[in-house]
Amino acid sequence: MFSFRRPTLLLLGLLALSACATRPPASEPEAVEEYEQANDPLEPFNRTMYTVHNGIDTVLLRPAAEFYRFFLPQPVRTGVRNALLNLRSPVILMNDVLQGETRRSATTLARFLMNSTFGIGGLFDVAKEVGLPGHTEDFGQTLAVWGLGEGPFLFIPVLGPSNPRDLAGFGVDIAADPLTWAINDGDSTAEALGWTRYGLTVVDTREGLIEALDSINETSLDPYATLRSAYRQHRQNDIRNGRPAGEAPAATLGTGLEATEPTAAPAR
Amino acid sequence: MNRRSLLAAVLATSTALPLLAASPARAEMDINQAAAFIESTGKELVATLNSNQPIAARRQRVAQILRTAVDVDGVGRFILGRWWRVATPQEQQEYMKLFEETLIRNLSARFGEYQGVRFSLGRAQQRTEDDVLVNTIIERPNTAPFSLDWRVSDVNGRPQVVDVIAEGTSLRLTQRSEYSSVISRSGGQVSALLDAMRRQIAALAAREGR
Repeated sequence: MFSFRRPTLLLLGLLALSACATRPPASEPEAVEEYEQANDPLEPFNRTMYTVHNGIDTVLLRPAAEFYRFFLPQPVRTGVRNALLNLRSPVILMNDVLQGETRRSATTLARFLMNSTFGIGGLFDVAKEVGLPGHTEDFGQTLAVWGLGEGPFLFIPVLGPSNPRDLAGFGVDIAADPLTWAINDGDSTAEALGWTRYGLTVVDTREGLIEALDSINETSLDPYATLRSAYRQHRQNDIRNGRPAGEAPAATLGTGLEATEPTAAPAR
Repeated sequence: MNRRSLLAAVLATSTALPLLAASPARAEMDINQAAAFIESTGKELVATLNSNQPIAARRQRVAQILRTAVDVDGVGRFILGRWWRVATPQEQQEYMKLFEETLIRNLSARFGEYQGVRFSLGRAQQRTEDDVLVNTIIERPNTAPFSLDWRVSDVNGRPQVVDVIAEGTSLRLTQRSEYSSVISRSGGQVSALLDAMRRQIAALAAREGR
């Protein structure tokens, strides 16, 4: 998932070389509409990347996830998941704040303090037990809240479905993470811990996806198209923090005090 | 972390029930009626899934429930989208038959996984005058509970399910993308989709026999 610079450059190079999907002629308005809805002008390239990803997944990612699930009991895996989410708190908090979500910022901060202490370094999600469930947030979503469009759909091996906005957000989140800098201070122990965290993040994420991806691969007649559609819809939902489409984002960049009372839907 | 919840959503929709739809429903949908409808249909479905009748009998019962509770025609048409008019009348007929079969088989192939399933009703909310979103929490043994929203419309005077939504991902939209992509990639041949659906149904039937 990480060590990203070179693969990204390589990708951009391939992007420049790759063929584009053909836009349907204007005489077929429905086909044009579908083309625009899929938002995938780089489809041939993306499908190649999807094939590459599946190869990596079959020989490496999925077996690692199965191995992880087989050897570590559920409570340990839950602890790992909690700890990883806790380590992401500074980045989540930054994005909560940048989106003007006062209430969610406070929740993230309170969770971080409680779970890091009473939750023994984040292994136990004690905050959730007292009514403060966690949420994630990333800079791709922040850019979207600020009004930036997603750009064309991209499928990145290992990382999965994405787009230029979310990819840039991913880079910013890594750069903004205090732990990224803590592990690069030349101390080999810190560095090893940092890489362990990245490795665990990949394995934990893939483990959580075993059934979902198996199910898509089994039931979809075109898993690539299914993933593309599901990713884009789901991102939209995350960007709105689960609020129904059309409702105004609650107090964006405002005080955030009204955050729990969505205002009436504005006329579009 | 997002990919995990995204795929949880996809898992929920793709395994939980490929029920989707859009239809020219006009009548106003009452929020309490919609919630009561989801509750009673859910109870029937759960009772069937958890019963120890033979698979074939359970599949038949599930088929019956789905035909009553889901606007199969409307959903099927919505999913085929612009290709509906490209299809010949025979292809349209064949498609509807295969679509219903896919819906039923997708569920019956997973009877084992649904042993012990439970659900509880969440909040219902009016989306438009025509439809209501009813939230449910689905619980299966050894699996984290997940939330599904059922879009209920008035279809010809009675409530029917027209879409299933998990974490903002609408199943009928996802499936329309999937089917359309299969047809586009075969040079606009609806028959290619029908072939793929037949193969899928055969695979699901084989899995059910296991």
